Amino acid sequence: MSSQLAREKKTQLARSFFVKGISVATLSGMMYGLYSAFITYAMGEGVWSGWYAENTVLTMFVVVYVLGVLGSGINDTISAVWAIGIAAVKGKLMDFFRCFKTKPGLVMIICAVVGGPIASAAYIISLQMAGSIIIPITALCPALGALLGRILFKQKLNGRMIIGILVCLTATLMIGWSSLQEGAQEGALLGCIIALVAALGWAVEGCVAGFGTTVIDYEIGITIRQVTSGVVNLVIFLPIVCIIGGNILLAPELTFAAFTSGPSMIFFVVSGFFALFAYSLWYKGNSMCGTALGMACNGAYSFWGPFFCWLVLGVFFGQSGWALEPIAWVAAIVMFLGILLIAVNPLDWFKKKNTDATEEAV
Amino acid sequence: MLPFNFAILKLFLSVEEADADQVMTQLTDEYHKSRQFKKSSVIEALMTAEANGLLEETRFDLDAEEQLHVYYRATAEGRTMIETYIGK
Repeated sequence: MSSQLAREKKTQLARSFFVKGISVATLSGMMYGLYSAFITYAMGEGVWSGWYAENTVLTMFVVVYVLGVLGSGINDTISAVWAIGIAAVKGKLMDFFRCFKTKPGLVMIICAVVGGPIASAAYIISLQMAGSIIIPITALCPALGALLGRILFKQKLNGRMIIGILVCLTATLMIGWSSLQEGAQEGALLGCIIALVAALGWAVEGCVAGFGTTVIDYEIGITIRQVTSGVVNLVIFLPIVCIIGGNILLAPELTFAAFTSGPSMIFFVVSGFFALFAYSLWYKGNSMCGTALGMACNGAYSFWGPFFCWLVLGVFFGQSGWALEPIAWVAAIVMFLGILLIAVNPLDWFKKKNTDATEEAV
Repeated sequence: MLPFNFAILKLFLSVEEADADQVMTQLTDEYHKSRQFKKSSVIEALMTAEANGLLEETRFDLDAEEQLHVYYRATAEGRTMIETYIGK
């Protein structure tokens, strides 16, 4: 009786851990959607509205590349402030400093640079060069992550899980289908190759940093990530892009103008808050349920992104052009089925049903 | 002083096996003042380490109060990884 109760309690513990892992990974995708909506809004307010206006004084290069890096850098810096604050409240701040100078801390820093500035820049550049045709390439990131998890950390990846990942990929393509029909533009091939760099960068980050949170607490891991990404974006990457654009002085000038623009900064504070959970829960989800399942659950951001843009920007702020196409809802169901396929074996359900039926008959 | 998670994992280099309560007991002196020092955090850290192959379950049982105790030990790969990334 005692061993029966122990087994029941053990099964319950394992189940609650599994459910928590899936919930955390799914929530990370939702947070990513909210972060996307608020950063989009922030980058349209205050000084940003003038920078993106038709009669802007900025060159096309600056508008496309420099502002993209600046927006990302401000968001991650604000997010780092949130992360440090939360770590302090939870008594983890000293561990943050201790982890920074360790080997796992260094791995986190490398992941932050690869998945932050490098992958984000590759995404922005590829989008500009090839247009929305790159979406299916960047959507490969969960599949690449699962593959890396298998190779680097010997994580589980069987035929059923691969089919599940393909189903999720199909759902992402369904959401991006309308923009895909716009066709390829000049420079598309190079753009697609650069998009692959972005997908690989996010895959490496999700897989390695996810595994890293086995060793480093996920809230400390995300603090390292956001501090690194914010600093590298604003202090190193932004000046480099400004030099390429022909005017390094733009870096401090635009950064100062952006940080002192109250109407947009309010929303950067909100987007930074959601970005913190988008990434921290992504890491935690991947470490709790493996890269394949974790990244598939997180990958639902391809639905949550347009969904929260519609809800926040369209419904709440009354902006036009954010309506969610009906196919997105269908794609969300397809994606849910894909995630379910990765998480559980449908045959097990049938087996369980048969066993229950047999037991009842007996 | 090591980060709390590092200390939890490193403990498994010096013990045959341990459950969350034993981990708490071993780390009490150094970490009892830390706000992270909670049994739920330790259980989650152990289960995450198990999910990623650093630890493996050895056995489980109930105590007199019917509380579940799950015991873990470091796997060979986990031991190497802990030694490499955290230290011996």
